[in-house]
Amino acid sequence: MRQVGIVGIGHSKFGRMDFDLVDILAWSSLEAMKDAGISGGIDQVFVANMGAGAINHQTAVASSLVSRIFLEPAMAETVENGPASGASAVKCGYMAIASGMADVVLVTGGERMREVIPWKATDFVATLTHPDAEYAYGVTLPAFGGMYTRAYMERYGLEERHLAMLAVKAHRNAERNPFAHIEESASMGGIWDGPHRDVVNPIMADPLRLYDMCPVSDGAASLVLCAMEVADRFPKKPVRIAGIGQATDTHCVHNREDILDLKAVRLAAERAYTMAGLGPEDVSCAELHDAFLILEVAISEAVGFWKPGEAKLAIERGDTEIRGTRPINTSGGLKAKGHPVGATGVSQIHEIVKQLRGEAAREDRQVNDPKVGLAVNFGGFGNNVVATILAKE
Amino acid sequence: MILDELEARLRPPARPMPPYPPKYIVLASGQPLVIRQARRDDFPILLETVEPLARVRKDFYDIVASRMYAELLGQYIHRLLDPYCLVGTINGVVASIVNGRMIDAKRGMSYHTLTVHRGLRCGAHMFAAKMEYHMEHLGQDEVFIVAESFIGFKRWMIEYQLESRPEFQHELGGVPSYCLTRALYDTYKPRLVAGTRPVPPEILATADTLILPDEYPQIPGFKR
Amino acid sequence: MVSTTELYAVDTHVYASRCPRCGALYHPAPMVCKTCRTRRDPSVTVFPDFDKVPMEGPCKLLTWTRIYALPDGIDRPSSTFGIVEFPNGLRALGQLMVDEPRSGAALVARSGLVRELVGRDFYGLQLFSA
Repeated sequence: MRQVGIVGIGHSKFGRMDFDLVDILAWSSLEAMKDAGISGGIDQVFVANMGAGAINHQTAVASSLVSRIFLEPAMAETVENGPASGASAVKCGYMAIASGMADVVLVTGGERMREVIPWKATDFVATLTHPDAEYAYGVTLPAFGGMYTRAYMERYGLEERHLAMLAVKAHRNAERNPFAHIEESASMGGIWDGPHRDVVNPIMADPLRLYDMCPVSDGAASLVLCAMEVADRFPKKPVRIAGIGQATDTHCVHNREDILDLKAVRLAAERAYTMAGLGPEDVSCAELHDAFLILEVAISEAVGFWKPGEAKLAIERGDTEIRGTRPINTSGGLKAKGHPVGATGVSQIHEIVKQLRGEAAREDRQVNDPKVGLAVNFGGFGNNVVATILAKE
Repeated sequence: MILDELEARLRPPARPMPPYPPKYIVLASGQPLVIRQARRDDFPILLETVEPLARVRKDFYDIVASRMYAELLGQYIHRLLDPYCLVGTINGVVASIVNGRMIDAKRGMSYHTLTVHRGLRCGAHMFAAKMEYHMEHLGQDEVFIVAESFIGFKRWMIEYQLESRPEFQHELGGVPSYCLTRALYDTYKPRLVAGTRPVPPEILATADTLILPDEYPQIPGFKR
Repeated sequence: MVSTTELYAVDTHVYASRCPRCGALYHPAPMVCKTCRTRRDPSVTVFPDFDKVPMEGPCKLLTWTRIYALPDGIDRPSSTFGIVEFPNGLRALGQLMVDEPRSGAALVARSGLVRELVGRDFYGLQLFSA
């Protein structure tokens, strides 16, 4: 199999974007192509998107994107894997190059979720649950976040305070990220031990509070991938995709053997580590899918950073800060950077590339001398997970 | 005060209204939002704060800002019956403005909620403050509410479980009116209404002279 | 001809599915038995369907939540959900009808009207204190 590298990255602002979805995808695609020093020469385009049909009344968006930026006659497909669409699209790009079908691939993930009212966006995301056993009850993804959080707290003694500390970290990191949706800071005095906490940071999915959850965002992120053997065509040194792993678990959350065991995360990470010939101890920085802050905690344990139940100790020590021993979500995470569903997996990898290149220094978010980065993109409520490991050459 | 005879004829009779005691809320950022009643000398700043938003054709800012401008002007030149205006400031800068009026001793009418400083739920806190004013300080039992913006209205309708009162004709439009009753207010107050009184003097002092916002997130590149 | 009663009758029970060959229980129903690979045909034209086993009865609350941001079409301030486990090992999500839930509590699951959709009522599990 050929080796694959990333030679261009692009990103739009996350938040509210009042123009057409495919224009949003085009924006970040052109940024990535500019970063790669190209205006064409793309063999294959993969677009990661979950909501175009249901929310924006558009389908076949990969084909639309190709034409919007004059990449015809490139091959093009849309990839839909719920919230893991982004990393799945990167995996497809990897396979296209590794197999020899393509030399240069553009991967773009994006959504325009704020085109509809928030209640419709909530309903749309809930359609990834089981139609009769879950969705029909009016359950939402935050509801599963809440139930998972309660079970985790009861088993391991994690406190709401720990989640508030992660929220403060996320906002602090996002303030330095020009692409982040959330631009306001959060303080423990405001969201945790302030006198008006229960109104300023109300319970939304007991015990999860408002500031424990990501916003609904529009936006896109893009990568240009190439075969390592042609990487010298591009101005920037490639960041190598060293490992990819993916695994699935039961559709219904209640059918997991242990509701707290993120088996698909664990297996996806193990597969990625095996392919890369690395282990969790080698990871310099990580972007973990914190749509609900409990997931940063649980995923960090499932990928082997800490033993189950011990992430709270790492939070208290500050290990996951930018200058900590194991920086996590230096971008602000989904919590504060935002979560346009199809864009997220691509955006996570965009951040890891930025860190490995040393380019986050411009934004005062640079991890010290990173060599290996891990991104975990969590689909459904953990029933389809893709882990990607990147290595500095 | 000597009132010109013609001016006296044009002014509506004023009902005594207890003042809104100022309070502050510690926002998620840790900054205090000071909420106080607007004084007469605040109105020129309030009008100038609202004016740029009347040209924002997004999220109903244009209609809300245009109507609020008229209401504030109407209050300033004494042409509204029993109106009030509350202003929320962060470090003295106007963050959000709400207004309404008394219909009679027991019933109130909510006018508008306009927020300049986004991202910290100032609008939600200010709307709650005005409901608090009607219920706890003006001693009323019902507040009638309509809205131009569907999203804001649906949020209030669901969060407060407002009662439908289609028979009531609200001044602001022909859409079916809704009502916040005392029973509903008491039920949802713990989750929606916050604040500490009295405001520490050094914090209250920051809100004494209103400061015009330099930035409007709704108007990228705004320059006054 | 189907009688009017039959035409408008609504089955208000909630069912688990049992493989007719090996007896394995499922909720929700898969399309093939994991244990013996017996296929299931909801249209009952090529293969039989799985047997229906009513799910009501005693259960234990494993975890729960109350949510305050509901999806479009549900206009109330909150909904409460729980995941329960039955003595036969089956688990399910249900609508929690308890004011102050506690993980580990003994509950009783009954079927009830959970949601009224256009032209269809959805009967699901409602979880009450035992």
